Amino acid sequence: MNLYDLGKVPWLHSQLLYHALPRAGGSGVILLSPATPYVCIGYHQDAAQEVDLDFCREHGIPVFRREVGGGAVYLDGNQLFYQIVLPPDHPAAQGDKESIYRRLLAPVVRTYQAIGIPAEYKPINDIIAGGRKISGNGAAEIAGCTVLVGNLILDFNHEMMARVLRVPDEKFRDKVFKTLKDNLTTIRQELGRVPPVDELKAVLVREFEAVLGPLEPAALPAEVYRVADDLAPRMTSDEWLLGGGRPGRERDVKIQAGVHVSQCAYKARGGLIRALMVVRDERIAELELSGDFFIYPAERLGELERALIGARVSEVESVLAEFYQTRAVESPGVGPADFAEALRVPA
Amino acid sequence: MKIGKYEFPEDRYYDRDHNWALVQADGLVVQGLSDFAQDIAGEILYTEPPRQGRDLEQGKPFMSMESGKWVGRIKAVVSGKVEASNAELEENSALINKDPYGNGWLVKIRPSNLEAELANLMKPTSPEFAEFMKAEMAKYGK
Repeated sequence: MNLYDLGKVPWLHSQLLYHALPRAGGSGVILLSPATPYVCIGYHQDAAQEVDLDFCREHGIPVFRREVGGGAVYLDGNQLFYQIVLPPDHPAAQGDKESIYRRLLAPVVRTYQAIGIPAEYKPINDIIAGGRKISGNGAAEIAGCTVLVGNLILDFNHEMMARVLRVPDEKFRDKVFKTLKDNLTTIRQELGRVPPVDELKAVLVREFEAVLGPLEPAALPAEVYRVADDLAPRMTSDEWLLGGGRPGRERDVKIQAGVHVSQCAYKARGGLIRALMVVRDERIAELELSGDFFIYPAERLGELERALIGARVSEVESVLAEFYQTRAVESPGVGPADFAEALRVPA
Repeated sequence: MKIGKYEFPEDRYYDRDHNWALVQADGLVVQGLSDFAQDIAGEILYTEPPRQGRDLEQGKPFMSMESGKWVGRIKAVVSGKVEASNAELEENSALINKDPYGNGWLVKIRPSNLEAELANLMKPTSPEFAEFMKAEMAKYGK
């Protein structure tokens, strides 16, 4: 297979080239970094719902919708992208999704380990170090090929990531920022320094070769650039950017596998219930309930939050039922079922 | 009938991409994913159903689905026109996991070349299908 080490490229090429390579009948491993920052959303996401498009426009930050799954991410030159394009009959593209992720992410895990970061694979598509995400990955079938894209995170602008997302209010943004800081780490954060990119690439290529076979350095064929140019008008159009999603009543930001910041609003007969929560490994880790409903005595609201923190998402209804059965609580027009609805975690 | 732990209703046809086709009395063909397909996909988070009237070609991708940050393509089980898409999947794609042969159906197709194309599909009771599934289960470690 060929290795296309492209260095720093215009931001648009950092996305278009891996969409173009399989369409041009090619395969191989691309390594690159974008020359300037941008926001990238998943194929099935609604850009208007996920991203603060006005902020991005005002600050000259492009927004791109990829054909690969996953969520909105802030990408910049402090990330080294690997983009693996495998033909359908390649041995490394066989098996189910988890085994392909596991196989193709093992070299990335070993690269982190080689530079002294105790990284590990976390199914299905994350790499973590000390419990915190240190690489984002997604995949797709493009033109019949298996395409896996991901990054080594040298450094990260958590604040900008939290800023470019569309959020219901600043409190939610602050929660996203803090959860990102707690759950997403970088090479700089782990080592206190960033090794030279060429050094990282050398280890990464060696580790990819152990799984994919020899990688021959090559220039990306002109045909791939031509196909990328053909894709550009469609993939940079508003119609494409805004055409991917579905509306929802919730706002949910996935920080890493198993960690979400969610805000749900539910209009009960007795008023609107808002729930801002962090869900970690299927349990409510943090919760703030608010709204315009009434609850007596007032301290029951804090008690209810505390009763729910630590509960499994699947146990919310029983915790609520028990709370209402065992405590003197009045909340006219708002019952346990309404709170359960407000706490329904988006799929 | 069952092959391994997977159910394959005998009233429908199956292709090599793990789609099923049910020919209804009104002549429409309902397409869905098999129990095996939903299992290897994992929890399906999103689908992008096609618009009504879209022309489909047997074996060519026409819609997408996402599980585990992986966008996969679903291929048409027969050629024809999309008569209806399962709108419920837009809100609840997990129906495919929960009920792949019932409420998790994908599309209803007005077939254009049904008789010839059914010959490209397999019945679950055929030795060909049993052999195919045996190889697929080995390939996916199921």
